[in-house]
Amino acid sequence: MMSNFITMNGYGLYVWLSFSVVFISCMIVYLKTKKTLKKYENEFLAELQNLTSEEKNKALENSKVVRQILATSSKVN
Amino acid sequence: MFIFFSSSNIYSLIQKLINFINSIFYLILIIGLTFALVLSPPDYLQGDSVRIMYVHVPSAWIGLACFSLITLLSVLNFIFKIKNFYFINKSLAPIGLLFTCLAVITGSLWGQPTWGTWWAWDARLTSMLVLMLFYIFYILTFKLLNKVELIVKVSSIIAVIGSINLPIIKYSVEWWSTLHQPASIKIAGSSSIHAKMLMPLMVMLLVFLLYAALIFLMKYKTEIIRIKKKNIKRN
Repeated sequence: MMSNFITMNGYGLYVWLSFSVVFISCMIVYLKTKKTLKKYENEFLAELQNLTSEEKNKALENSKVVRQILATSSKVN
Repeated sequence: MFIFFSSSNIYSLIQKLINFINSIFYLILIIGLTFALVLSPPDYLQGDSVRIMYVHVPSAWIGLACFSLITLLSVLNFIFKIKNFYFINKSLAPIGLLFTCLAVITGSLWGQPTWGTWWAWDARLTSMLVLMLFYIFYILTFKLLNKVELIVKVSSIIAVIGSINLPIIKYSVEWWSTLHQPASIKIAGSSSIHAKMLMPLMVMLLVFLLYAALIFLMKYKTEIIRIKKKNIKRN
């Protein structure tokens, strides 16, 4: 039973290779996308820190997205 | 009319959607893999090699769907000048390329035990390869060009020209005598696939769609942050 599952009646190499290629490619793309998102979030927060308190308040006041980025990044970190 | 597409409205939805997909994804993945690798029956002709269909077909469908959407949004962007469509297309293209590549690779791995060859210059296979090249050209416009207006123009032209290939892919198996089998699943008309194979295929399609949505949302979120970072002092 178990050996049939692994060998797939002689097609194991093709079946397992197909599923592995898909799984590994998707995993690489997911990790790379997540890393890039994290990098931009950190860069954005660093940029916000570099602003004067007046500029920072203005940015937070005027942009809903800036407030949301700050809120979600704080939760994640 | 298009106020819904403002970045602030979309941004608030993104994190909620990412959390939702993360919460259900692994459960559906396990169900899909169990059906695809264990519970679904082998084909009477192709044996267990038919299981490759559960990763090959959803990949091809998503590759085609992404390019169709990119073309539609490119045209709408041209008419209505909605900047968000540019970011949506930029986020969609790598996902489309990934799935098109996976469809070609898994197709090749299915072709060897079924047809006795890894590759043939057959109409369906060649048109999928052409789609892959269009995706590469499309992504290269974002990498190589600097001005947004120019990127929009060039990428839209590539998308519109590339869209001519989409019906060719769809009907290639009917127009020409190809190694590739005709479609077993039809939206209009009866499908020739057994329900025991159709069900796992639909579950795996859902898994792939959820994954594609997750990557898209993460990429789109990155784009919004990148733009906001650039404009932070102007806010």
